[in-house]
Amino acid sequence: MKRLLFYAAPLGVLALLFSFALGGDLAVRAAERPTLATVSQGLTCQCGCGLTVANCNHPTCSFSVPVREQIESMIGKGESGAQIIAFYRQKYGEKVLSAPTTEGFNMVAWVMPFLVVALGGAVIVYTANRWRSLPAARGTSAVQSPESGAAQFDAELKDRLAQEIRERS
Amino acid sequence: MSQLGSLSLLLALLLAVYSIAANLYGARQQRADFLASARHALWATCALVTLAVIALWSGLLSSDFSLEYVAAYSSTTLPTPYKFAALWGGQQGSLLFWTWLLSIFTSIAAFQNRRRNPEIAPYAAAVLALVAIFFLGMLNFVTRPFDSLSLVPGEGTDLNPLLQNYWMAIHPPSLYTGYVSSTVPFAFGAAALITGKLDDSWIRSTRRWAIFSWFFLTLGNMFGARWAYEVLGWGGYWAWDPVENAAFMPWLVMTAYLHSVMIQERKDMLKVWNLALIGLAFALTIFGTFITRSGVISSVHSFTQSGLGPYFLSFLILVVVAYTGLLIFRSRDLRSPAEFESYLSREAAFLFNNLVLVGIAFAVFWGTIFPVLSEAVRGVKITVGPPFFNQVNGPLALALIFLMGVGPLIAWRRTTPRNLIQSFAAPATLGLAAGLLAFAFHIRAWYVLAALSVAAFVMGTIIVEFRRGVSARRHMIGEAPATALVNLVAKNNRRYGGYIIHIGVIVAFVGIVGSAFFKTEVKKTVSEGQSFAVGPYRLQYLGVLPIDTPHLESATANLLVTRDGRELAQMAPAKLFYKRQQQPATKVAIRSTPFADLYVVLAGLDDSGRQATFEVFLTPLVFWLWGGGLLMVLGTVVVMWPNVRERAAIAVALHGAADSQIAGEPAPGGD
Repeated sequence: MKRLLFYAAPLGVLALLFSFALGGDLAVRAAERPTLATVSQGLTCQCGCGLTVANCNHPTCSFSVPVREQIESMIGKGESGAQIIAFYRQKYGEKVLSAPTTEGFNMVAWVMPFLVVALGGAVIVYTANRWRSLPAARGTSAVQSPESGAAQFDAELKDRLAQEIRERS
Repeated sequence: MSQLGSLSLLLALLLAVYSIAANLYGARQQRADFLASARHALWATCALVTLAVIALWSGLLSSDFSLEYVAAYSSTTLPTPYKFAALWGGQQGSLLFWTWLLSIFTSIAAFQNRRRNPEIAPYAAAVLALVAIFFLGMLNFVTRPFDSLSLVPGEGTDLNPLLQNYWMAIHPPSLYTGYVSSTVPFAFGAAALITGKLDDSWIRSTRRWAIFSWFFLTLGNMFGARWAYEVLGWGGYWAWDPVENAAFMPWLVMTAYLHSVMIQERKDMLKVWNLALIGLAFALTIFGTFITRSGVISSVHSFTQSGLGPYFLSFLILVVVAYTGLLIFRSRDLRSPAEFESYLSREAAFLFNNLVLVGIAFAVFWGTIFPVLSEAVRGVKITVGPPFFNQVNGPLALALIFLMGVGPLIAWRRTTPRNLIQSFAAPATLGLAAGLLAFAFHIRAWYVLAALSVAAFVMGTIIVEFRRGVSARRHMIGEAPATALVNLVAKNNRRYGGYIIHIGVIVAFVGIVGSAFFKTEVKKTVSEGQSFAVGPYRLQYLGVLPIDTPHLESATANLLVTRDGRELAQMAPAKLFYKRQQQPATKVAIRSTPFADLYVVLAGLDDSGRQATFEVFLTPLVFWLWGGGLLMVLGTVVVMWPNVRERAAIAVALHGAADSQIAGEPAPGGD
């Protein structure tokens, strides 16, 4: 268990940092060069379709159609993506955002996938190390000469080709 | 016909129950007559469900509105192909369609195993019948497709306009085929656990079924993406909708499974993991159905007013608990002599490939259920949409693509760092060159640079593999290059078919990156005769053509597309209005080239038709997403193609191991 934690801890920290960095990325992008597509992708349509304002497929939607026009107008006035999204968040609440914020409990959403991958990686490393220490693995590695996948495949391929030649003759 | 349909479903349920009893009794008492009887019962079940499907199709085609289902999902003016497609357009019909596919696949599996796998096949058939009983139970007692209306309407409500598209006519059947066929390997895995016959016979018996399932899941996802691209009118193809996610997760897990079984076949390792993966893939198909029909998570695909959630959830819990229980019960027997020498080995690459695939599946699952979790914990229902999935899955996808290149070029057991450098020098140079070239073309987004480099690297590894194989044939047999290439693939179809699939994935990946990062959008209102620019193109609005049919009204705009004064094409985006459902829709116009798609939506039209608003997307490289999909399909066909050498090896195994029935895999689709 100690060993497992030993592997998991640094990977977990790495995962946290990674997810933090990613969580911040969207806001930065939105602030840098807002377009109708990027900003409306950050908002969820409230008509019940469950899609983003950019993706809502109702031609006469009472929410996404006017909101898209409003976003275009706000971009035209020089507002940043973050400002526009903040405006809608204030107006409709958190439900209008199309991704969890990076605050409080929502942070769990961002961290968990990377944490799971990191833990999975730690389990693989732990298990593989146990396998490596088994006598079978130690024994064969001393006898077998290491070769590249290419060389290994070349040998297999040559065997098959030799068999093919035999079959032809 | 409705009574015939209802009666068929009831008899099918009874026969499925009987087949379980006969199979279990026959297997325990070694009574061939009971096993044969069980098999016949399964075939009869299939025939009866087929009869029910024919009855519902007959109702749809004859517009028999006395049937509630027909009145709700069809109309007299609905074009005939969509009357067929209406079978899976509504809840009851789609469940019937699912059950039909399940009964067909069960019958085929029973036929294939009538003389082989005597130890596990009866139990696998019993598991398949158990799954069928759940669906037949739903169709008989919970959501009946043959319920009648006391007051027969003169006209039906019609099929949802979004579903009146040819992609929608083939997307659900493909996806359902992928979903349902995964039940067969699951059933054999469960049977292996029940009987304790835990060698790789269940894997060999169902390898083609697993590939078949993966093939149709790939097709289903691709068709769904194409449908979204052509119908939804927002210029994209994937919205990370919960139901899209539900189709994507089994595909990811099945991909992981198809890779990890190679380790078990080669080194007799990862038995628990492979059994867990196939169980997970099946559970995720039920989870997807639960999402679609429960209303727990809002989705554009959901069947409204459905109360089926608790049934599917109960079934899902039952499957997960029973299967996990069996895995734990057999855990001691599943231990195998593990041989692992080095992290610089193909085994290690496959292990990490599995980790990333399952990691992406988890990320998708997590994002899909997080709104429910958030509501339970904080009382706030939030949305988890494309920004989350793109940001979380982006780096994981990059890692996956990289591992796709690493795996095939390193050896089983172990490789020295020197050999590794030798193998990877050329592909790594190609990757680096691609990155530098992209940089020279003013691409600065780190993800795009990394993605293009990794894609080029992987393509390089595949080219190296093909070149080596062709070269060996040329030198040893003296074949011409083209003949050597064809024979190389034909005689090693599993390996090179896999590479073709990998090429398809790379091509699709480049298409996804190009279309996601470089899409431009223009929205313009113009009068008749006026034109506007979109990238290098100029679009001139020539006028509108109104059409009125009993089924729909449409207004089709005519746009002339020119580039540098040269006429390229005329495009015709339209606004549609479906009369029965009183629902507007759009019909996009797409001019597709390998460089970019010009995608035009008629967003608005004034009453006279003289002034129109267009939303135009110029999406680079999206063409290659579909091209990559086609290559994946081609690669899978190559992998599944019957291989004479493989059959001979199987025959030798069959005669060489009298006590083992694992190798008898005569029928196509059977191993």
